[in-house]
Amino acid sequence: MRTNRKIIDDPNSQIMTMEEIEEMKAQNTGSGKDLVAKILESHSALDQKTAFALAKYTLRKTKKYLKRFTVLPLDVSTLARWMFVEKEPMKIMEMREEILALIGSWSNVYCTPSAPLPPASEETMKGGGRWLVIDETAGLLVAYMAEKMGILHPPDQDDRQMEKDTVSNQSPEAVNEERIQEDLRPNNSNTPSQHNPRPRKSSTPATTNTITLVHAKEQPNLSLLKYFHFDAFNPSASHPLESHLKMLSWLQLLAPEDDSGYIEPELASEEVLQSWKSGKRSNYFRKRRRWERIKLIVDDTRAGGFDGLIVASVMNPVSILQHTVPLLRGAAQVVVYSPTVEPLVELADYYSTGRRTAFVQNPLDTEAMPREDFPLNPTLLLAPTIQTARCRNWQVLPGRTHPLMTGRGGSEEYVFTATRVLPAEGKVEARGKFKRRKVEVDGTTRSSSSLVETPAKAESDLMETDEL
Amino acid sequence: MGDFLIVFMAISHPIQTFPFFQCGPTAEADSLAILHLKRDLLIPAVLRSQDDLNEGYDEGKVTNTRFGSFPHSTLIGTRWGSQVRASAVDTGSRGRKGWEGKGKKGQKRKRDGQGQEESQAEKKAKTEDRNREENNRSAEIGEQDTGVGPKAAVEAASGFVHLLPPTPEIWTASLPHRTQVVYTPDYSYILHRLRARPGTVLIEAGAGSGSFTHAAARAVYNGTTSAEKMESESTGLPSKGHGKVYSFEFHEQRAQKLKEELSEHGLDGLVELTYRDICQDGFPPSSTPPSSIAANAIFLDLPAPWLALKHLTRSNLSSPLDSTTSIHLCTFSPCIEQVQRTISTLRQLGWLEIEMVEIAAKRIEVRRERVGLQEEGLRGVNDSPASVDEALTRLREVEGRSRVFHEESALDGKGEEITGSPATGGAQVSKQQRLENIKNALEGRKLYKEGRLVHKPEPELKTHTSYLVFAILPREWTEEDEITAQQQWPAKLELNEQNTGPMSKRQRKKEAKAKAGGNKASENAEESSKPDPT
Repeated sequence: MRTNRKIIDDPNSQIMTMEEIEEMKAQNTGSGKDLVAKILESHSALDQKTAFALAKYTLRKTKKYLKRFTVLPLDVSTLARWMFVEKEPMKIMEMREEILALIGSWSNVYCTPSAPLPPASEETMKGGGRWLVIDETAGLLVAYMAEKMGILHPPDQDDRQMEKDTVSNQSPEAVNEERIQEDLRPNNSNTPSQHNPRPRKSSTPATTNTITLVHAKEQPNLSLLKYFHFDAFNPSASHPLESHLKMLSWLQLLAPEDDSGYIEPELASEEVLQSWKSGKRSNYFRKRRRWERIKLIVDDTRAGGFDGLIVASVMNPVSILQHTVPLLRGAAQVVVYSPTVEPLVELADYYSTGRRTAFVQNPLDTEAMPREDFPLNPTLLLAPTIQTARCRNWQVLPGRTHPLMTGRGGSEEYVFTATRVLPAEGKVEARGKFKRRKVEVDGTTRSSSSLVETPAKAESDLMETDEL
Repeated sequence: MGDFLIVFMAISHPIQTFPFFQCGPTAEADSLAILHLKRDLLIPAVLRSQDDLNEGYDEGKVTNTRFGSFPHSTLIGTRWGSQVRASAVDTGSRGRKGWEGKGKKGQKRKRDGQGQEESQAEKKAKTEDRNREENNRSAEIGEQDTGVGPKAAVEAASGFVHLLPPTPEIWTASLPHRTQVVYTPDYSYILHRLRARPGTVLIEAGAGSGSFTHAAARAVYNGTTSAEKMESESTGLPSKGHGKVYSFEFHEQRAQKLKEELSEHGLDGLVELTYRDICQDGFPPSSTPPSSIAANAIFLDLPAPWLALKHLTRSNLSSPLDSTTSIHLCTFSPCIEQVQRTISTLRQLGWLEIEMVEIAAKRIEVRRERVGLQEEGLRGVNDSPASVDEALTRLREVEGRSRVFHEESALDGKGEEITGSPATGGAQVSKQQRLENIKNALEGRKLYKEGRLVHKPEPELKTHTSYLVFAILPREWTEEDEITAQQQWPAKLELNEQNTGPMSKRQRKKEAKAKAGGNKASENAEESSKPDPT
């Protein structure tokens, strides 16, 4: 058996000093190969190393001084990992990949094809792939959802890929020329160049397969979307997010009358317009268009009928759900992320069976919501669940398989999930338990009734208060 | 029966354009619906406007649950997510109408009964007479004319369910288990790591019960219906960019059952299921030439995934892999030995970034924990003192009572009956009285906001599901690709230096000496430069 018994534990076997190495690094313009060679050369006990130890040492020095990298296509998974491990986990609310994946599944987000649509007969039950998102992870969540909906990566990337596949036999000049033309085409057709004095005309917001983002500040923080060629302040018209991502502030959602952007700019008659200077006129049109877009988005959002609600916010989830749950269609999924469990525990408590029962027992008008005991209408969400997942990495080597020794601590990270439901009108009585009262009065029947009571805990609680 | 169902579907819905996760505003006939009874009690049911199996209910097709009976006529056309009341369905007397499966069904009912069914019957006793009358009437009508439609459902006094459209998550929780199921925390992470997104072509081997199949279908779906695909084929355009799941299952019955389910769920154009042992026979599905699969992602849930890997190489002529993208792979194995064999094979076959992980998921239970003497005699609480003060008070009380008792018995000499008499001071009450008071006070209390709000993992914990092995096979890179890339992005070519292996200065000096010296010396040098085998 191999042990570390004969290991040579001498830190001085490397003769080269740090200064020498640094000096070489400064001089060296190449790939660092000669530096590694030099380091190996200056090792005084290299010949005493085993083949394995030598390979390991060489590999370690190569990794350290020979900077090589592979260019990988950027996707949300890679970005999330990089943000979490290398960059700033706090910026993305410490969202781990496995939690992001969990959010993706439970929100039931999917791609809705643009062409055929399920008939949206009722205005309030729209459907058609519209998701409501509260994202304070600098746009990571939006990017993740957009990727799952097929609207994150501009389509020309794929086209280029295809094009490259088909024209690889042609001369590179031809390919490059085509490329350039391709690059220019969307600019010519859709977005005017920088010098054009006419204001940028944005396309009409899409009605299906959309993400509606509600933000707490005047402007949303979507800085991570820059890695996907999307600038929220000046979106390029060729990017699918330009029409599929709708943004509005909480003020615009809850009290649009108080928002200056929602107030219609005065309509000028044709004659008046003609009399204006071109600058004033274009300013007028810009304002009109901005207002039209805001109004469209605000009215569309306030009409509700969303297919799901996904929340990753530092704000109290109770206050968010108060305003957003009514905007969801029946059977819409609600997913709330929190790095710590406490806010979700509070939330789950407001949807507890006991509270729901008490709420149902004392029918009050929903207009009077929220009330002290019922900040949220507990009958609107079904099966509220808090869950978490954690990934454990292993080292798998022949004879040396074990979990990795270290990992990342910090937030444990939790997800609250529930389904929006439409409670039946009037009083609904639960079934599933009948002898409860008798049990408490008469101790002898206790054992016989336990059979009945265990399988239907949730409903049994309902019954308990039903009979009180 | 399965064939019959498929035929029926084909007649009623020749083109089912929408896969099951994409629901309209209301529950439609012939669509899959989930009756939500409790969080972990979900009943899948395909809604039928007619009772094809002729089970003998007056209301047409009926689904019976623990919380009541639900004729499908009350579900079809209802908005998804609605709370639906149970209906008063006569489940008992339909045997009298000559239904064939009477004996069998009767037995099952008895087994399931458990008292609930009985109490249900008790509840119904009031309306029974009326019901029977109606039944008799409808039975008569039925005898006269079998073409008469189903009876309108009558609302029951109690019981309800929530009507939900299926999602892969709900389906995973409610599907009929035929094998070990890949649960949501696992499949969500796997699909994330496999980069399964709209347009991905994914191979799944070992479809099993189909939970991963459904989730994968949702992930890769990008609006491509089978009709569209046919169109693109006819116009000669490449169908590239259309997401699809190629699924394989080597168990014939399982494959057949899953095929029926996929068809019922409107996933026909999206998932192509093949009954095939891919370890033995390789990947090409029967109806597609292998080269046209062009998969970017692979999920292997097989007993011996390493046996399937030889079919997943670039050099293989019938390779189902997409040559222009890198391939993301995941294997799902419960045992560490399987993982070791898989990884060793992956290394041999040139897969990169091999990683093995394990997902530990748990659900958190939130409850209010009530502790204190005021809870005495109540259920689901802890009735010990909530604080030291409370304990002290109670101890003093007991102490006082026993003191009084002893004093009195000392006074009375040889103890007389005093236990039943009210204690001195008037503050003390009997236990029975105390319990009664607590019970009476219960009505005025808001229990839902009392006690301490606590959370803990739910008692049933899955501590191990399976080990997930991930690996990436880089895209194919030919000489031509290299030339094209070199021309597009000209870069300095790196000279291939001859590799002599690392040597320290000391070694070189020795070697040089050896060269200068005789044979003997060189032998020594060679020996010393040879790496130590230990």
